[in-house]
Amino acid sequence: MKPPFARPVDPETGEVTAERRPRAFAPEAAPVPEVIEVLTDDAVVVDAEVAEPPRLTSWLGRIVWIAGGLLVSLALGLATERLVSDLFATQPWLGWVAVALVVVLVVALVAIVIREAASLMRLRALDRLRAEAGRVIETDDNAKGKAIAAELLGIYGGRADLARAREALDSNGRHVFDGAEHVRLAERLLMAPLDARARALTAASARRVALVTTVSPRALVDIAFVVFESVRLGGDIARLYGARPGVVGTWRLVGAILAHLAVTGGLVLTDGVVEQLLGQGLAAKLSARLGEGVVNGLMTVRVGIAAMRVVRPLPFVAVKQPMVKDFIPELGNVLAKTER
Amino acid sequence: LPQPPTTLTDEFGIALSNLADAAVAPFTPTLRLGVTGLSRAGKTIFITALIHNLTTGGRLPGFAAMTEGRFIGARLAEHPDQGVPRFAYEQHLKALTGNPAAWPESTRKISQIRLQLKFQSQRWTRGWQGPTVLNLDIVDYPGEWLLDLPLLSLSYGEWSAQAIRRAELPHSGGAADAFLNALRTADEQAEANEPDAERLAASFSEYLRASREDGALSTLPPGRFLMPGDLEGSPALTFAPLPGPTGAARSSSLYAMMERRYEAYKSLVVRPFFRDHFARLDRQIVLVDTLRALNAGPAAVADLETALTDILACFRQGDNNVLTRLVARRIDRILFAATKADHIHSSSHDRLEGLMNRLVAQAARRAKFAGATTKSIALAAIRATRESVVEEHEVIVGTPRAGEVLDGATYDGKTEVALFPGDLPADPDRLLTAPVALNFLRFEPPAKLEKNAEGNVVLPHIRFDRAIDFLLGDWLR
Repeated sequence: MKPPFARPVDPETGEVTAERRPRAFAPEAAPVPEVIEVLTDDAVVVDAEVAEPPRLTSWLGRIVWIAGGLLVSLALGLATERLVSDLFATQPWLGWVAVALVVVLVVALVAIVIREAASLMRLRALDRLRAEAGRVIETDDNAKGKAIAAELLGIYGGRADLARAREALDSNGRHVFDGAEHVRLAERLLMAPLDARARALTAASARRVALVTTVSPRALVDIAFVVFESVRLGGDIARLYGARPGVVGTWRLVGAILAHLAVTGGLVLTDGVVEQLLGQGLAAKLSARLGEGVVNGLMTVRVGIAAMRVVRPLPFVAVKQPMVKDFIPELGNVLAKTER
Repeated sequence: LPQPPTTLTDEFGIALSNLADAAVAPFTPTLRLGVTGLSRAGKTIFITALIHNLTTGGRLPGFAAMTEGRFIGARLAEHPDQGVPRFAYEQHLKALTGNPAAWPESTRKISQIRLQLKFQSQRWTRGWQGPTVLNLDIVDYPGEWLLDLPLLSLSYGEWSAQAIRRAELPHSGGAADAFLNALRTADEQAEANEPDAERLAASFSEYLRASREDGALSTLPPGRFLMPGDLEGSPALTFAPLPGPTGAARSSSLYAMMERRYEAYKSLVVRPFFRDHFARLDRQIVLVDTLRALNAGPAAVADLETALTDILACFRQGDNNVLTRLVARRIDRILFAATKADHIHSSSHDRLEGLMNRLVAQAARRAKFAGATTKSIALAAIRATRESVVEEHEVIVGTPRAGEVLDGATYDGKTEVALFPGDLPADPDRLLTAPVALNFLRFEPPAKLEKNAEGNVVLPHIRFDRAIDFLLGDWLR
């Protein structure tokens, strides 16, 4: 039988306030679980970084597209069926070869679709994680901070280069009692080495762009090269931070980076505008092509920084975000090299 | 008008010392960390844990310099002031890690220690010359002596009035009766004689000791009456408060003699203590044992608030700039720490921090106005418990110290229990007005300690790394 008890009622809310008396228990009754739950609830996340592409098509347009697509699919199916049956008519073994090829094609297509879907989901997961981390920094919620660290450990679970950092995060995280501190610790341990490598990638890319722009004979060549380098840099940085962009993923990523550049363009421009003008002025004095090279290089740097901000699963809080001016010495190296 | 805590000569000396410091600062800067706390707040534990964690590279994930790999290491160095005993770090650590483990004994004397921290600076102004060395000076002292600091700005008359009023309060209980009786029979205008003075002083210090024994009273100056150090029996410690005389007191009267001795106490004991150890601090951590006050009830909590506010008013807080640092150093960062956070479950830490904010609200406001940065956290320099859940009660699991009592059960210091100490109310003001069902036990130090690769023990803690980061972080950039 349970002993009778009285519990006070909060005069404001009218609810029973659970005022619990001090008690002592036998230690056997106390399991010491250290289970870390992983965030699974897919809360509605305001997609600040990856903006929804503007809808160009109305519902009528969509009907046209869907109907057209179905027709094309039917035509393709019919053509394949005709082809296979024609082949069977000429030679039965040719028909079997065609069937086998069709099966291989379908399987490969399905695999590609699955991979693309997975890569998109990963990009989205990184986005959600960043938004969640930003909130935890504000609210200092311990359970959520722990969950973020656990999820990051999952994302980077197979990475050999982060083995030591993962170990450190795992063992230290047990002794942390604040959500924000979990996030900061994860950033210092896991993100800092990735940041350094992303910076190196960006710097190398910017150097290449500057060099190619300086020596290329035609403007078209360097525009093409800048575009190629930017897409490649974006993909490299995304892979570095754990996203695995496929074709659609890369497309989304490039869109996000461009959107980010458009939003923060003015902001990034003011950072180091003096250096830009100086670099351009000085370099342009030496040669007009060199000046263009430096400008294109800085442009690539901006793409790299934007890519970092878009795919990094944690916001820049404990670690300083790289700025354009941090890369000026790197480009200076190029100048030294090209002048020699 | 309140008296200034220091004399003009003191100020001159302080300014000269600051100038001397500033002269060597470009080579090896010195950071003075003021570890402030009443008795049993955990100063000695904090300092021991700080030294151990820094010298052995302990587990401090929130200490940015260490996590980012800039912190190279620390070692104990010789303190330039040869006149003060060295902090007995080795003995304290031995007690903590011994078998059976025990908390260090309460501090009876002043002691100090210097740590040399080595780190690689991120700033090009320092970084180009390789690793930088920073001296960290820490002082340990009996917490009772801290109660004396507010006396510096009180005259004998003001202090007497305060002390007698406090003795007459109902919660002083029977402890004060003997002293109040002695006071009634004493004639302050009578010719001064030593036996009378000794009798009064003895009953006064008896009252102070007794009231400290049976409660968590924090406002009981003068502190040397509780922890005399090496001044036991000297005339400067033989005085007691007296009600002010109606007319002017003759210079040969008992009152005048008591007043002279009070002033002597201030100038011989309190002022040098303040001048030598507290007037030139850079950083301050205020350790507060809120749980002990909560155990004792609302009066003790209110007392604690008054004591903290009075004591913290004595420190020089405010922002520094390059020029003012040369002659006048001020405390520009203050951390208010509710210690023994391991005695409650981490889900209650927010509320503990809320209570801490409430207790130091006045002091924090004053410090912020002066330009200092403040922060309050719940911390445990050494964590003695684990956490668990029993029947939907968030409990802590640990070994209560011998003699601790809960629900009629007395513990022997060997059995482990899962303790639910009661819910801290969300509104800290309730703790200052009405009794709340709370019972915090004191725990033995952790028994089995992990060792790191070098064979040094790793001291478990709660938010100790964040405290260090807040106090030292910006000097190690």
